[in-house]
Formats: sequence, C-alpha cells, structure tokens
Amino acid sequence: MKRTLRACLSLFRIRAAESLQYRLAALSGAVVSIVWTLIEVTVYIVFYTYAEGRANFSLTLGQVIAYSWVKELLYALLVFNIDDEIRGKIISGDVGVELCRPLDLYWHWFAKSSAGRVGTLTFRSGAVLLAGILIPGQYGMTLPASLPGFLLFLLSVGCAFLLCSAFGALVSAVRLGITWGDGPTYMLILLGHVLSGGYLPLQLWPDFIQTALLYQPFAGMIDIPARLYVGSAAPAEAVPFLLVQIGWSAVFVAVGRLVMSRRLKNVIVQGG
Amino acid sequence: MPQIELSGIRKAFKVYERPAGRWGLLKGAFKREVRSVTALDGVSFSVGEGELVGLIGPNGAGKSTTVKVMSGILTPDAGSCVINGRVPWKARVAHVSEIGVVFGQRSQLWWDVPVSDSFSLLRDIYGIPRERYESRLGGLCGALEVDSLLKTPARQLSLGQRMRCELVAALLHSPKLLFLDEPTIGLDAVSKLALRAFLKDENARSGVTALLTTHDMDDIEALCSRVMVIGRGKLLYDGGLPGLRERYAAYEGQDTDEVIARMYEEEAL
Ligand SMILES: Nc1ncnc2c1ncn2[C@@H]1O[C@H](COP(=O)(O)OP(=O)(O)OP(=O)(O)O)[C@@H](O)[C@H]1O
Ligand SMILES: [Mg+2]
Repeated sequence: MKRTLRACLSLFRIRAAESLQYRLAALSGAVVSIVWTLIEVTVYIVFYTYAEGRANFSLTLGQVIAYSWVKELLYALLVFNIDDEIRGKIISGDVGVELCRPLDLYWHWFAKSSAGRVGTLTFRSGAVLLAGILIPGQYGMTLPASLPGFLLFLLSVGCAFLLCSAFGALVSAVRLGITWGDGPTYMLILLGHVLSGGYLPLQLWPDFIQTALLYQPFAGMIDIPARLYVGSAAPAEAVPFLLVQIGWSAVFVAVGRLVMSRRLKNVIVQGG
Repeated sequence: MPQIELSGIRKAFKVYERPAGRWGLLKGAFKREVRSVTALDGVSFSVGEGELVGLIGPNGAGKSTTVKVMSGILTPDAGSCVINGRVPWKARVAHVSEIGVVFGQRSQLWWDVPVSDSFSLLRDIYGIPRERYESRLGGLCGALEVDSLLKTPARQLSLGQRMRCELVAALLHSPKLLFLDEPTIGLDAVSKLALRAFLKDENARSGVTALLTTHDMDDIEALCSRVMVIGRGKLLYDGGLPGLRERYAAYEGQDTDEVIARMYEEEAL
C-alpha cells in the first residue's frame, strides 16, 4: 500500500515534469480562455444592467464575474479525453511494458493521467489568473469573499482534481475495449461542461432543480469550488459540498476499477 | 522443483479480416471474417534455476508469444505454467516483481526525461531501498558503460545505447529471472560483446536465470548451454547446441547459421 502510494507519487512527478513541456499549447488555450471570459463578463454586465430591479438573481453581478474567472481557472481540469495515451499503448502493444510492473494498472494510469493535467493546469490557469488580476475595474477578477472561504476553495479544488481524474479514468476504462468514435466523447464533454457550471453558474438555473444539480457528480468539478470562492456558499456550508465531491470520486474509482479489471482480461498485448 | 514449468501451453489469436473482393471495404463495415491463428500449439518445457536458455525459431514461430505468456501479460487458452511457484497471469503483480523483462522492440524508458529519472521511478515502483539501489545502479552502469548517458533523455539515445539502458532498467530490482526478447537487436559488435559478457557474469555471480530469444546464433553460442527451437508453435528441439549441430549439420564445421537454415528447411518451417 505504502509502496503503491510512493510509486504513484513518483509516476505523478515524472509525468507532470513531462507535461510541463507543453507550454505553448497551454498558453494558446489560455488566450482563448481570457477572450471568452471577457465576452462572457460583458454579456453578464449588459444583462444585469437591463434586468435591474426586474428580476431577482441568486448571484450578484460581482459574484457572477468572479465566477466566470474561477471557472476559467479550473477549466483545464475538465479534460476527459486523456485516454489517448492509454489507447495508443494498447493499440501498439506498449501496454505490455506497463503490465510488467508490479503495480495495479488502475492506479498506474490514474497517477499518470492526473499528472498529465498538471502542465496545462499550471500554465493555462497561471496565465488566466494573471489576466484576471491585471484587467482593471469591473471586468477583472475580484478577491475571494472571505479568507476561510478561500481556504475551503483551495481544498475543494483539490477534491475537484481528484474527482476529474477519477472520472477521466472511468471514461478511459469504458473506452478500453471498444472503439467508439469521438462522437460520444464530445457529447460527454459537452454534458460535463453544462452540468459543472461551465456555461452558466448552476445557481442561476431554475429553483426546482437546484438540489438535483448540486448532488450530481459534475457540480463538484467547477461549481462547488467556485461557490466557495465567490461566497455564494458560506464556509459553514462547505462540509456537505466537499462530501459530495469525495463521494462521487469514490464511486468513480470503484466503478472504474471494476470496469478496467474486466476489460484487461480481454486485452491482447500486440506485437512481438 | 524447476523454476519455470510450462506444459501444453496453447494460444490462438483471433484475426479479423475484411472480406475480399470489390465490395470488401463496404461489406467489412458490417461483417468481418474471423480467422484463428495458432501461435502456440502445446508448448511444454521446464527450466531450472541458474540456467541460460536460448529460444530460437523462424519469424512468427511463437517465441515472443511464449515470452509474453511467461511474463504474465498474456493469458493462454490452455495449458499450465508455473513460475517461482505462481501462475503468472493469475498472480501478475507478485510475479512481475520478481522478474525482469526486456522487449527489444519496445522501450520501458520515459521518452522525454533523463534516463536516470526513469531509473529512480523504477526504484519507487519496485520499492528498492535507497542504498541497495545506489550500489546496484553503480554496478550496472559500470558493467554496461552507461554512466555518461544518465542525464540524456531516452529519445536522444542511439539504439544500442538505449538497449544497454533498458537492460539496466530490467535488472535494477535484482530479479531472479530474466526474459529477454531479442535483446541484441540492432547492437554493434562492441555492445553485443559487452551485453553477452555482462549476462554471463551476472549469471555466474548472482545465479540469475535467463531466457532469451534471438536471431543471432553467436548469442546462443556465446551464452547458452541450452537451446530450444520453436517452429509453428511447437517445441522442436531442446538441448545443447552441439546436439543440434549433430542432428542437422551437413558436414563437420558448417557455419551455425547454415545449420539453422537447413534445420528450418528440413522441418518445413
Ligand atoms: N496480436 C496478435 N494477433 C494476431 N496474431 C498474432 C498476434 N501476435 C502474434 N500473432 C501471430 O502469432 C504467431 C507467433 O508470433 P510471435 O510474435 O510469437 O512470433 P516470433 O517467434 O516472436 O517471431 P519473430 O522472430 O518474427 O519475432 C505469428 O504467426 C503471428 O502472426
Ligand atoms: Mg518476436
């Protein structure tokens, strides 16, 4: 157990170092992010100005703007097509090398794929954060609502990282044996973006689905950390939120392991 | 009890084929023809501790498939295999922690990071204590002359340099058992000699058992006291090289490669 953990940390380190080399790709993603956020913020400003007094939003304009920036910071987490490397390994037969390691293959790939996000996360989010701070006035990013809120936000981001990795590993495991095209993956990504609050903060959705929205697995990927940052969820409310994140992570890990062990039985190590 | 015991191992691969003919491409989208290719057709042998065994045979004979089965990464259709008291594909994790594997055509090194980083990753994966690791790494690097390559990313190594590093990687955890699938592929004379000398020495010193496949008869001559010949998924010969020559050589002192070629011909492989 301890050895597995050490090995996975070591795998994580080496893969993260590798992924840090793809700076350019991450930075170009950041430019898109920043432009997109500015457009979004403009739309919100217009919307809130004209709706003044006529509607009762559950988030203030300032909160929505901060939300948009935070969302863009966390965006790099929502990459679920990480199975490319793994699929490549299976097609080429390189999976044989990994099977020769005394490591549970699920955790082996979990460590690798989660580390693969570190590079993009660092550069892309770093650039977005910088832009958010430098952009003046109403358009820029605001400070977190409170210090406890901010600390809980950081904790929640950690949980979101775990959740997204576990979900990504599940998607990979499901995809292992079967060749579906990219279609279902794109649909899944779209669904993930919508339900995680990537397009519209979940709290702006109709009241009657709020509870359902909060407890579905994608909420933990962006919306929950963002709520803690902008203060639309008080620090005192944080515990059940974090539990939602951790609970879904555990579910995804359990199902992912099950699916993967099933699929591995039929994998043929190609080549020779 | 022998360290490796295989009996009646069979493996057939399913091959999906597109129907032939003008509409084959279209038909293939709906219906694929399945054909079964027999790679191993009842292979049995046993290897004792400390043996150096060479596995030869023509292309497509089933050598790599045998190695995969013994490494625990391929489950055969029938037959039994017990290595170090375990069934490789059933107790994969425990099994692979005691063996070292090199697939000549694949790399186990990380492509973009210095070789030494790949090695320290292996240290953590196999849980090798730090001092043991340091001394082992020092010994291996000295013997295989890879000291100067440690800071180089694997992608910048030549084939021979990489292969020597692969060997270091496979031996870091001091396995009792080594499977080498074409370890001398693409090596120059100097590297080949170094590799052979190293294997011989390692075998003599720590009694490691090694089973290697190769197409280079000099490897066999230099290293292996025992040769196994596989053809069409069956074990055709198992014994010393002199015995093989005796059976197939046309005349005294015929070149080993010619003897082997004659044998393949005679057995209609
Ligand atoms: N994944 C696979 N799918 C279908 N057939 C396969 C597969 N792997 C191997 N085979 C077939 O099994 C047989 C044995 O292959 P194997 O790789 O063991 O040969 P080999 O003895 O290693 O040959 P070589 O000397 O060329 O490396 C071959 O006929 C090959 O076509
Ligand atoms: Mg082969």
